[in-house]
Amino acid sequence: MTDVTQRIECQWCHSQSRADARSCETCGAPLDIKNLVSDSGWREAPRLRDMTEIHFGDSVCQVEGEVVPVADMNLAAGDAVFFEHHVLLWKDESVGMSVMSTPGGAKRALGGMPFIVSVASGPGRVAFSRDATGELVVLPLHPSMELDVREHAFLAASHTISYSFVRMKGLTNILHGGGGMYMDRFVTTGVPGLLLLHGYGNVFERSLGPGESIMVEPGGFLYKDSSVTMDVEQQKLRTGMFGRHGLYLARMTGPGRVGIQSMYVHHHTD
Amino acid sequence: MTDPITTAGSYTCRWCHSTSDGTNTTCPACGAPVNVQLRTTDSGWTQLPAIPDMARIQFGQSFCQVEGALVPAADMNLAAGDSVYFSHHVLLWQDPAVQLSTLPLKGGWNRKMAGMPLVMLQASGPGHIAFSRDAPGEMVAVPLQAGTAIDVQENHFVVATGQVAYDWFETGVWFTTSGGSQKSAGTGLKLLKVGLELAMDSEGSGSDRGGGETEWHYPLGQYIDRFSAGAAPGLLLLHAGGNTFIRTLAAGETILVKPPALLFKDPTVAMQLHVEYPRAGMKFWRSWGNRYLWLRLWGPGRVALQSSYERLEDPGSDFQRTSGHTEYRW
Repeated sequence: MTDVTQRIECQWCHSQSRADARSCETCGAPLDIKNLVSDSGWREAPRLRDMTEIHFGDSVCQVEGEVVPVADMNLAAGDAVFFEHHVLLWKDESVGMSVMSTPGGAKRALGGMPFIVSVASGPGRVAFSRDATGELVVLPLHPSMELDVREHAFLAASHTISYSFVRMKGLTNILHGGGGMYMDRFVTTGVPGLLLLHGYGNVFERSLGPGESIMVEPGGFLYKDSSVTMDVEQQKLRTGMFGRHGLYLARMTGPGRVGIQSMYVHHHTD
Repeated sequence: MTDPITTAGSYTCRWCHSTSDGTNTTCPACGAPVNVQLRTTDSGWTQLPAIPDMARIQFGQSFCQVEGALVPAADMNLAAGDSVYFSHHVLLWQDPAVQLSTLPLKGGWNRKMAGMPLVMLQASGPGHIAFSRDAPGEMVAVPLQAGTAIDVQENHFVVATGQVAYDWFETGVWFTTSGGSQKSAGTGLKLLKVGLELAMDSEGSGSDRGGGETEWHYPLGQYIDRFSAGAAPGLLLLHAGGNTFIRTLAAGETILVKPPALLFKDPTVAMQLHVEYPRAGMKFWRSWGNRYLWLRLWGPGRVALQSSYERLEDPGSDFQRTSGHTEYRW
């Protein structure tokens, strides 16, 4: 018989699960598989087993598929999630839909469509996925956390998380015109929440110490703790010219976590 | 019976033929897993084994770790004195200490990528720097022994060590058509250069019909990259879309491949355009019904293909001129 008082800590989200659990109950990370950490200090985001279940509030999210994973939410009455409309895959008829008020959102657009954050309310099922090969990154937010995320990268977030966004200048790849981009900010206060991101390709995370820096190609940036600062710097190349565009990298400085994706897909922001 | 490949504590990689002491789970020269069976299809293609997540490849005093499985990243730990070069768009992240400089390229302004000039950057150690491409596929490590070279279809190069020389030349595989009213064929294509009438005009060929411009088509791209190792060996990393398959053609042996599927070939392998016309092809159904464009490769040498590739554009209209092609009418 399992000792119900024994708990094990997940090394990805630091939540505790039953000692006999194969996957973390809060983030779905496999608990019986060794962490993959590179010599340079990046940790691969846990590869979620197909059909893994994650619990939040009174609701459950099941992660389905491995190449382009689907987040299938079974929302309890009183629970809700918010998301951008382009990630919807299917839903029960009974799931209520509303639109979140996002101050300044009228100026944002995705592929010519207006930027709208929608809210789905339980009870019922609703499922989300994105448009390319990648990984689902589950980031449970403990109370009083602030996380900054690349625009259009979040798949869904529970309604206990508050949402806003800021415009970043110069944060686009030189191949795509460099007009700037938005960064979504997710904040929890007294109650925890669940945040699901989709990273294109593979996702890696590292923790920067205070004052420690890493240079990231802006297209690879996926998320960071809001304690990590991000400054766009033009690289000083020792010789020659780099056309009129210059090479820009984001200097990320700790303390805090930084997440990157290995495949860059650009969504034009107007 | 002893396995000739793993006798006396030495291991010869089935993939790159480098020897090592056999104590690692992957080949230190190319990252291929040790002790895997070669997976060769009945048709003679050998599937390149994917480099296992977190495998290390050694070059000089430096290491490259391949990370991820969907869109793998190559994470270089450069020792002082070692350097690599790369095309600017593959950079993923770097330590602030790594020094970047531009690599002077003879005539580099002739080359363009997505409308930008091709810029090669050089990174010098010590420090970490990592690279990845923007499509699902495999990182393919090609160790180049001293004095050897390979030809790589453009846009597949990720990074090479400083000892590897880089050059390019015209593929010599092209055809021209009369532009006429087929402007729709020219949208956003790397494989198609529109409106270069100069060559036709200079040769006085007046075969433009319907007042259209001459369109130049390069099924394999206008240029192909050549990487060669001089006195010292080097390492080359390529990105392949989807899965990678390789075969060795005997002298005079040929195979027809879809042009954009070519990943790399030995310089000894020759190329030519080949066109097939299906028997029931309807002449008026011009855009895709009436011909197949092939790249004929003939040995001796290795040929590598990727299973996912860009669409080959063919306006379907009659050739004006070609780089020299053969055809077959069924």
